[in-house]
Amino acid sequence: MAVDTQERPAPTASQEGATAEQDSRFQRYRIRTGMFAWMMHRLTGVGLVVYLIIHIWGLTALTDPETFNALIAKYHSPIFKVGEFALLVAVAYHAMNGLRIVLIDFLGWSPNQKKLFWTLGAVTAVIILVGGWPSIYSLGEWILGPGSMPTLFL
Amino acid sequence: MAASTSNALNWFLHRITGTFLIFMLITHFWVQHYDHQAASVTHEVVTEQGAMPDYPEEAKEGVRARFGPDAEATPYQVVMQRLADPVYAVLWKGFNILFLIVALHHGFYGLNNVMTDYIRDPMGRLIARSLSWTVALGLLIIGMYSVITAGW
Repeated sequence: MAVDTQERPAPTASQEGATAEQDSRFQRYRIRTGMFAWMMHRLTGVGLVVYLIIHIWGLTALTDPETFNALIAKYHSPIFKVGEFALLVAVAYHAMNGLRIVLIDFLGWSPNQKKLFWTLGAVTAVIILVGGWPSIYSLGEWILGPGSMPTLFL
Repeated sequence: MAASTSNALNWFLHRITGTFLIFMLITHFWVQHYDHQAASVTHEVVTEQGAMPDYPEEAKEGVRARFGPDAEATPYQVVMQRLADPVYAVLWKGFNILFLIVALHHGFYGLNNVMTDYIRDPMGRLIARSLSWTVALGLLIIGMYSVITAGW
């Protein structure tokens, strides 16, 4: 399947706005599901590299007990709990979409690829909900008061 | 020829490291966040103004068993009950060094792919590539230092 750009739209696509000339380094593509998945993969990927740099840098605190304890205490503040959840979302998405790319690259293109996409999407949602539950729980307890959240499997 | 061979190798390695990272991340998450004895970060606790998080009974017992009856379960001590163990320390340090190398290769190769797509000037590409791999090498040294010296 060819990729439709705005200069070379699919035959059935409407012609409006098709005059876009390439004047920036960012090609303007039609955003469909696959393209959206690819864009999110890039965005989460770059975000995770930034996180990796901060994370490795932060762990130099391991050489001193006081510094490490202060660092972990900071990680328990509400803003970091939100960040922790965002991190899980980025990791889960990037891992599952990456797995999809690897499967397509190594096993070949398959007519079942849409089924694969939505199956892995469902797995991602489960990972985010189950893995992120402790973060959601702790934020709920903090906002709504102690004892207001169901403990479930914690 | 040499460049294209190394690009193909890196492309292949990117898939392999990515697959490895899924399993390593599951282990990492489990140990750091969900295991009640060894998790240095307890998810269920939000604190304010730098107060120490409270740890589950398993973690407190583990710390007391290793560092004596008066030892307090602080985040550092909880990590140390794992990293100061003569047997498991080697295992965990080995795991963490491998994890570090795999994550850095995967992350910085991916970053270079993205940068090559948007930077068109060959000199710009060369600068971006050299800078990013220098940062990666620096992080590898810093990270290995943290992992190896932890618990000494």
